[in-house]
Amino acid sequence: MNPLELLAIILLTPLASAAIICLFLRRGGYWASAVSVVAAAVIMVLSFVFLLKWDGQTITGSLTWLQLGQDYSFDLGFLFNHEAATMLAVVAFVGFWIHVFSVGYMDDDRDKGRFFGGLSIFMFSMLGIVLADNLFMVFVFWELVGFSSYMLIAHYWDKDFAAAASKKAFIVNRIGDFGFLVGIAWAYHYYGTADISAITAIIKADPSKTVTGIGLCLMCGFIGKSAQFPLQVWLTDAMAGPTPVSALIHAATMVAAGIYFMVRVFFLLTPFALEWILWSGAIMTVFAGFCALGQNDIKKTLAYSTLAHLGYMATAIGLGFPGLAIMHMAMHACFKATLFLCSGSVIHACHHEQDMFKMGGLWKKMPVTFVAFFVATLSISAVPFTAGYYSKDTIIAGAWGKFAAGHGDAYAWAFGLTMLGALLTALYMGRMLFVVFFGKPNSEKASHAHESSPWMSVPLVVLGWIMSLGAGWFVYHWGWADGVMNALVPADVAQFMIDGYSHAAGGWEAAHHLFEESGAHWVEYLSWGCIIGGFLFTFFFYGRGPAQDRLQVKAPGLYHVFERHGWFDDIYDFYVSHIQRRIADFMAFIDTAVIGGLVVRGSGAVAGLVGMVSRSLHVGSIHGYVYWFIAGVLLFGAFALGLLR
Amino acid sequence: MTDFNSLLLILAIVIPLAAAVALLFGQKLCPCAAKFIAGIGFLAPAAIALWLWGNFGEAAKTAGYAYMSQYDLGMKDTLGISLYLGLNGISAPLFLLAGIVGLAAGWQAINAKAERLPQYLLLLLIMQAGLMGVFASIDIFFFYFFHELALIPTFIMIGIWGGAGRRSAAMEMTVYLTLGAMLSLLGLIYIYKASDWTGFDLIALREYVSAHSIADAVQHNIFGLLLFGFGILVSLFPFHSWAPRGYAAAPTANAMLHAGVLKKFGLYGLVQIAVPLLPVGALEWNPLLIWLALGNILFIGLVTIAQRDLKLMVGYSSVMHMGYIFLGIATLSVAGVGGAVILMFAHGLSVALMFVLSTAVYARTGTYDMRDMGGLGMKAPLLAGFFVAATMASVGLPGFANFWGEFTIFMALWKDHAWAVAPAVLGIIISAIYGLRAAAAIFMGAPSEAFQKASAGKAIGDITRAERIPAIILIIGLVLVGFWPHSISTSINEELMGDSVYQPKVLSTVQTPAAATPAAGHAHEESAS
Repeated sequence: MNPLELLAIILLTPLASAAIICLFLRRGGYWASAVSVVAAAVIMVLSFVFLLKWDGQTITGSLTWLQLGQDYSFDLGFLFNHEAATMLAVVAFVGFWIHVFSVGYMDDDRDKGRFFGGLSIFMFSMLGIVLADNLFMVFVFWELVGFSSYMLIAHYWDKDFAAAASKKAFIVNRIGDFGFLVGIAWAYHYYGTADISAITAIIKADPSKTVTGIGLCLMCGFIGKSAQFPLQVWLTDAMAGPTPVSALIHAATMVAAGIYFMVRVFFLLTPFALEWILWSGAIMTVFAGFCALGQNDIKKTLAYSTLAHLGYMATAIGLGFPGLAIMHMAMHACFKATLFLCSGSVIHACHHEQDMFKMGGLWKKMPVTFVAFFVATLSISAVPFTAGYYSKDTIIAGAWGKFAAGHGDAYAWAFGLTMLGALLTALYMGRMLFVVFFGKPNSEKASHAHESSPWMSVPLVVLGWIMSLGAGWFVYHWGWADGVMNALVPADVAQFMIDGYSHAAGGWEAAHHLFEESGAHWVEYLSWGCIIGGFLFTFFFYGRGPAQDRLQVKAPGLYHVFERHGWFDDIYDFYVSHIQRRIADFMAFIDTAVIGGLVVRGSGAVAGLVGMVSRSLHVGSIHGYVYWFIAGVLLFGAFALGLLR
Repeated sequence: MTDFNSLLLILAIVIPLAAAVALLFGQKLCPCAAKFIAGIGFLAPAAIALWLWGNFGEAAKTAGYAYMSQYDLGMKDTLGISLYLGLNGISAPLFLLAGIVGLAAGWQAINAKAERLPQYLLLLLIMQAGLMGVFASIDIFFFYFFHELALIPTFIMIGIWGGAGRRSAAMEMTVYLTLGAMLSLLGLIYIYKASDWTGFDLIALREYVSAHSIADAVQHNIFGLLLFGFGILVSLFPFHSWAPRGYAAAPTANAMLHAGVLKKFGLYGLVQIAVPLLPVGALEWNPLLIWLALGNILFIGLVTIAQRDLKLMVGYSSVMHMGYIFLGIATLSVAGVGGAVILMFAHGLSVALMFVLSTAVYARTGTYDMRDMGGLGMKAPLLAGFFVAATMASVGLPGFANFWGEFTIFMALWKDHAWAVAPAVLGIIISAIYGLRAAAAIFMGAPSEAFQKASAGKAIGDITRAERIPAIILIIGLVLVGFWPHSISTSINEELMGDSVYQPKVLSTVQTPAAATPAAGHAHEESAS
C-alpha cells in the first residue's frame, strides 16, 4: 500500500469511530467503548507497521481542500519526517493503552458514548496535528484538539467546576490562538505559502528571512496549548475531566503538541524568540515545582508537574536542541501518563477520593499500581538508567554545556533554574509517593481499596514497569530485528532523537557532546545529589502516610503562597468579573441608550421623520405596511418615469 | 428558450406563492390540509434548489448565468424592466441556502402550534417566495421587488405573532429597514441613470460598465448610497439597533428566515451589484467600511458578552458576524469575497439553527433569561449536543462551514489591510466567550434556583422529533460544507475569477502595488532565490 494511503487510513480511523459512536452508539455503553478501543488498536498496529517499514525519507503529499482565486489555496497534506515519526509513535502507543485503561476506569459511568466518542475525536485531531504539512491545516486540528479537550473536561457536566473548567480551557486556548492565527496570516503573506517544507526551503536558502514577530506570534499558540506563562491557568482546572483524559490529553499528548509545533517550525525562530522560550521554560520548571508542593489534590499536583516538564521541553527548544525537546516529550509521555493512570487507579480504588492526605498505605493493597508509580517516580526524577534520566538530565547538562561553550549568561541561569527544578521534582514526587503509598490508610475509603481490574493494571505494567524504565535505552544503540528496532523504539525514530534533524546541534547526542566537552562532571553529581537529597528530605519531613501536610502546619504562610500559585487565577477572575464584565456592560449601555436611543432615533432626522410618518400610518394591521410598500413602488416609478422624459 | 430547469427556477418562486394563495382562499380548510399545502410550498423550493445546485456545474451558461428565462411584463421597452431569472456561481449557493433554511423554518412553523396557523403559514410562504426570487433575479428591479415581498410579511408577523415588546420592535425594524430599502432603491435608480438608461438587466449593466465605466465622482456617490442602504439592511454598525430586538421579538420561523436569508440581500447586493458596477466607488469607501465592520466585530462582540437573554444574545452575535462578511467584501479580492459568500451561506444556516434551538430551550425553561436556567443537559442531552454543535459552528470551529468563511477572510484581509487582521481576529476570543458561557449557563452545572422552582413537578423531555428535524437539516448543511468546502466554493470561485473587478490588476491603479505574492505552492523557489 502507498504510504500516504496508509497514513490517511491511520488519520481517518478515529474519525470513523467518532462518527459511528455519535450517530448510532450515543447510549451504546460498552459497544461505544469497544468501537473506540478497536479504533485505537488499529491506529497503533498500523502506525507501527508503518514505522517499521519507513526508510527514514521524508514523505509529503497533499490535495487542495479549498481554492479561491489563483493564490489562495487551503491544502490538506502530510509531512512525515523524524519528529512526526516520534510523535506518531507516542500518540498511537500511549493513546492505545490509555483507551484500554479507560474501559476499566469508566466502567460505572453512564455516558460512555460521549466519553469514548470524545476520545476518538481527540485521536483524530491529534493525529492531524502530527501529520499536517502546512500551517493552515495545523490550525484546523489545533482547534479540534481544543474542542475535544473542552468536551472531555466537561464530561461531568452537571458539576459546576467541570462546566467552569471546560469553558476556561477553551477560552484561554483561544487567547493563544489569537496570536497563532495572526502569525499564520503573517507567515502566509510573508513567505507566500503556508507549506512548512516550502518555508523551510525559503529560509535555508536565505537565513535572513526569519522574522522575530512571526516566531513570537506562532509561539502564542504554543503558549496556549502547552499552558506556558502567562496562559498556564487552564491546565490545573482541566483536571476536572476524567483521569484517563488528564493522562492522554493534559499530560502525554495534546499539551505536548505545542512543543511539537515549535519543533516543526524551529527553523523560523530567531535568537530573540529562542531566548524568550528559554527563559519562560526555565522559570516554569521552578514556578510550577513550587506550586506542586502546595496541592493536596493528587491530580493537581501532577498537573503542576506537567507544567514544569513542559517547561523543560521549552527550555530544550530555547537551548537550540529541538530533537532533545521531542525526546523529553516522548519520555515524559511514558512516565507522566503512568503517573496519571496510577492516580486514576488509586482514585478509582478509593471511590473518587482525590485528596492525597486521605489516602496512605496503598502499596500493600495495590502492588501493581505501586510498582508502576514507583518506577515512574524514579523516571520523572531522572534517576540514572530510567527513561527520564536520558532526556531531562541532558537538558540540564546541555544548558551548562551551552554556557561553558561561551554562548552567554542566560544559559547559566537556565542551568541553575532547571537544576532547581530537578530538586523540586524530587521533592514533590517524594511527597506524593510517601503520602499516598506508605504508612497507614487515612480514610475509610482508602482502607477498603484494592487492586484495579486487568483493564487498568495491564496498561500500568506496559507504560509504567516497561516504558517508564526503558524508553530511553535506545541511546546505547541496542539494535535488534535486523537493526529495525533500537532498544524499545524503531531505530529511525531513535535516530532522530539521538541526532536531531540535520541541524548541526539538534538532539540528544549534540547536547550530550557539548556537555562532555565542558568536562564539568560535578553537574552530574549535583543532580544525583538533588534527587537523593530530595527523597531523603521528603521521607523525613512528611513521614509515611501523614493525615495532613506538615508544611501547611509548620509554615502556613509559605504553603499558602504555593497553594495560590502566584495568584494568577485570582488575577484572571478579577479581570473577568470586574474588568471585562464592566466593559461589556458599559458597551451594552452605550449601544442601547446612545446608538439605539439618541443618535439614530433622536438626531437622525430622516429616521425620525420616517418614524413619525409611519407611526401615523401604523394602525396595527397589514394596511399600513402595504401602503408603505405601494408608496415605495410609486416613488420608484415616478423617479424612473420622470427621469425618462 | 425555456427548458425544464429554467421552468423549475420560476416554479421555486411560484409554488410557495400558489400555496399562499391556496391558503388565502382556503381559510376554512382543516388545519391538517393547511399544513399539507404549506409543506408542499416549503418542500418544493428546497428540492428544486438542491436539484438546480447539483446540476449547476454542467449547466449551459451565458455570462455566467444558468437556467435563464425572461418574461416581459410590459415594462421591458419603456423601463427596461423584465422578470429575468437565472443563477450564477454566487447566487446558486445562496438560492440553495434560501431553500434549505426555508424548509427548516417551514417545518418549524408547521409544528409551532401558532394561533391562526393558516395565516401564519401564508405570510411565511410569501416570504419564502420572495427569498427564492431575490437570489434568482438577474433584473435589479425584481431583485428589489422580491426583497420587499419578503420583508413586508416580516413586519406583520412580528406585529401579530411576536413575543414581548413586539410593537416597538416591529416599529423600529420598519423604520430602519424602510430607510435602508429607500436608500438602496435610490442607489439602484441612480445606477440606472448613470448607465445611460441601459435598463435593470444586470448582465447588460455589467457589459455597459466594462465598455464605458461610470465617472469616478458618480461612482463615489452611488456606492455611498448603496453601502448605507444595504448596510442598514444588514445591520452594519452603527445602524444595527433594529436587529437584536427585532429578532428577539420575532416568531421563530420568521427570525430564521430573516436573519438567515433575507439579511443576506444587502450583502448579496454589494457583492453582485455595487462592487462590480462601481469598483472605484468601492475602493474609496473601503477604509470607512473596514472601520465600521470592526465596530460590528469588537463593539457588538462586547455587547453580546453582556447579554443575559438568550435570544438577544443570538441576535447580537448575528450582528457581530456580519462584520466578518463586510471585511471579506472590503478586501475586494477573489479570496476575501469568496470567503464572505461562504460565510453568508454558513451564517445563514447557523443562525437559523440557533433560533430553532433557542426556541426549544424556551419550551423547556419557560424563559430566555440564561441566569434562570442551568443543568438542562441532564434532562435534554441531545438538545445540549445540538446546542454545543451550533455554538461551535458559530464560533468558527473547523468541521463546520463557518470556519472556511472566517479563516479565508482573515487570510485575505492581510494582503492590503494587515493592520485590521489582529483586531478582527480578536473576535474569535469574544465569540468563544459568549458562546461557551451560554452553553454552560443553560446546560451545564447545577440548575439555578429559579429553574428548579419553575420545573418542579414538570417532566422536561429531550428534543422532540418535530424540533429535531429542522435542526438536523441545518446541521447536515453546516457539516457537509465544513468537510467538503468545494461543494459550494467551486461555483463561487469560477464566478469571481471571471469577474474582472476582483482581479488584482484592475484596482492596482489606485492601490500601492503590493509586493507580488507568488502563487501558493509553486513559486517559493523564486522567492527563495
